[in-house]
Amino acid sequence: MRNKDFMFWLFLAPVLFALGTVVLLPLIYGIVYSFTDWDGVNAAEFIGVKNYVELFSDQGFLNSLWFTFKFSIASVIVINIMGLGLAMLVTSYIKSKNVLRTIFFMPNLIGGLILGFIWQFIFTKVFDAVGRATGIEWLQGWLSDSQTGFWGMVILMSWQMAGYIMIIYIAYLENVPKDLLEAAQIDGANGWQRFRNITFPLVMPAFTVSLFLTLSNAFKIYDQNLSLTNGGPFDSTKMVAMDIVQTAFQLNQMAEAQAKAVIFFIIVAIISLTQVYINKKKEVEM
Amino acid sequence: MLTKKAFVLSSALFLGLAGCSTAEKKEESSGSSGGGGGDQTVVDIFQFKVEFKNQFEELAKQYEEEHPEVDINVQTVGGGNDYASALKSKFASGDEPAIFNINGAVDVQQYRDRLIDVSDTKAAGAALEGTLESVTEGEQVLGLPYNQEGYGFVYNKQIFEEAGVDADSIKSMEDLTKAVETLDGKKDELGIDAVFAFAGKEKWTEGNHGSNSFIADDFNGSVMEAFQAKELPFTKAEQYKEYIDLQNKYSVQPVLSLDYSQQVEELFSTGRVAMIKQGNWVYPTIEQMDPELAENVGIFPIPVDGETKMPVGVPQYWAVNKNADEEAQKAAKEFLDWLYTSDEGKEAVLTQFKFIPAYEGYDADKIADPLSKTIYEYAEAGNTQGWVFLGYPVGWSDILGAHLQKYLAGETSWEEAIEAAKNDWKKARQ
Repeated sequence: MRNKDFMFWLFLAPVLFALGTVVLLPLIYGIVYSFTDWDGVNAAEFIGVKNYVELFSDQGFLNSLWFTFKFSIASVIVINIMGLGLAMLVTSYIKSKNVLRTIFFMPNLIGGLILGFIWQFIFTKVFDAVGRATGIEWLQGWLSDSQTGFWGMVILMSWQMAGYIMIIYIAYLENVPKDLLEAAQIDGANGWQRFRNITFPLVMPAFTVSLFLTLSNAFKIYDQNLSLTNGGPFDSTKMVAMDIVQTAFQLNQMAEAQAKAVIFFIIVAIISLTQVYINKKKEVEM
Repeated sequence: MLTKKAFVLSSALFLGLAGCSTAEKKEESSGSSGGGGGDQTVVDIFQFKVEFKNQFEELAKQYEEEHPEVDINVQTVGGGNDYASALKSKFASGDEPAIFNINGAVDVQQYRDRLIDVSDTKAAGAALEGTLESVTEGEQVLGLPYNQEGYGFVYNKQIFEEAGVDADSIKSMEDLTKAVETLDGKKDELGIDAVFAFAGKEKWTEGNHGSNSFIADDFNGSVMEAFQAKELPFTKAEQYKEYIDLQNKYSVQPVLSLDYSQQVEELFSTGRVAMIKQGNWVYPTIEQMDPELAENVGIFPIPVDGETKMPVGVPQYWAVNKNADEEAQKAAKEFLDWLYTSDEGKEAVLTQFKFIPAYEGYDADKIADPLSKTIYEYAEAGNTQGWVFLGYPVGWSDILGAHLQKYLAGETSWEEAIEAAKNDWKKARQ
């Protein structure tokens, strides 16, 4: 197959051009600016790695980084369990499965900002009313402390992403050969054994995709964070993306924000690449 | 195969079209800024106040009719952070407006290279005393005030009357505490959920406004003194605590998830609380929610040291860009003069924009809403306190707000919170 001739590059050119101008170029610019003292308006001066050194004593940044880690781990677990659970449900023999698929996928179609406001209402109003009516204490006062702020974010994120991840799992679940399952059943394997030894290894590639997607999405989350908690109370639910935006546009420390963004980029890249690498090795080929 | 071909063709066509249209657009815009379309001078205005966007555009049109040689383009990008970042990207892209907004000393420092002296305008001469302080540098005046705003306790007159509390008699923190206790005791009869709605979720309302009342005296009420201060004395921290505790104790709970819209719309405008700490800017919202209730609101200042001074300040200034060509600069100044000193302009400022004017020569009776009127009366009587929070270190008000939230959540003591905030001030001013 000829794939490096003129036509190849011609058809690739628009994509390369777009990628270059909106991804690569800004990335390079960003890295360059992170070594300066640019404030967003006045000309920048080169100051070396000072921004990076200062980051490690910036408690606000470290806190938000730690919070983002915790949040990502919790939401990756919850989303994948929910996604796989929903997928198993709608690929089983229940009736309304097509309707259910649509319904489960729907939250994903709503924008993050709006979702944030909807859930804010649910947490602060509905939860509160139910809590008051039934006397259940832990349902009251949501989002007013860092614990409920954290779980509020996880619930919102899981609710939004689970449907999307479900679709990925469905695709793989439907490709699991029925004869294998049937053979196992005849051999006397129970439900859990069939899931553990046949279904699970065969949907492993779906984990690669799903874990990668959820992890990087959970890491980069911004609008849900903004509308649900806005980092509050006392910045305890402020995620890295929000910290970067605030450093850049509230504190006018554009270059420092760039340095944070570069670190952020490296972390996300490392996590994602390792994960892809590990999962690829584990995949089972039919 | 056929569909594939069609797809490639159509996308090529689409790309081609898109290319053409952007090219055309570019020509067009460069044409007009180069003085095309007759001999019109183009004045690009980039402003942040969404609330009066339509009225302002109307007024600009009116000005164009009277002055056909000037073409005014108004562009509005909403509130706070969005404006700052949008302005920065405007400057970065080279598409610089002739008139833009700055918020006082902090922005003057950042945009210094782009500001021209406007002290020769009529408006600068008519500006009320003190309103130009944070944009004055030696002899030069670098901005013109938008309007004045003031804040304090906005209260529901009807509820106060029913409870037999006279807002005018509240002169000290003790008076306020007594009034609040009276109101709290009659909660059921008055049909209110609580006395206050304390918006603990919003860092700015305490970080900026609340704290200002207790910090202003440290800097003699001067923005510039605050702006240059290396350290914050915070001598009235104890009084500040009393004030925070009082609001927190008698507020709808939990305060840390109570935001501005709940405070103003859901709780105050529906008569579920007796008062909130906010400013005249809440009036349009209350009026929209319940016009009847809106006629019945009043405002009194936060008592400090047994005194009640209204904190009045200028939230934003108009600045003229040095990089705009000279004709545009001249036209920009003329427009701003017309806006604040001509009869048409004055009329619009009062009745259309519903501003509290920051300039002399206005008819105070025309101020429409009761909150603004009270604030203007305080300002006229000189019974005011400066807005020093505009001179806080960049981002410090949010930092203070976060420390206060921590205190309200019971995660830190008052002394620790204040000490941490003072340290952050020192660090920011190093």
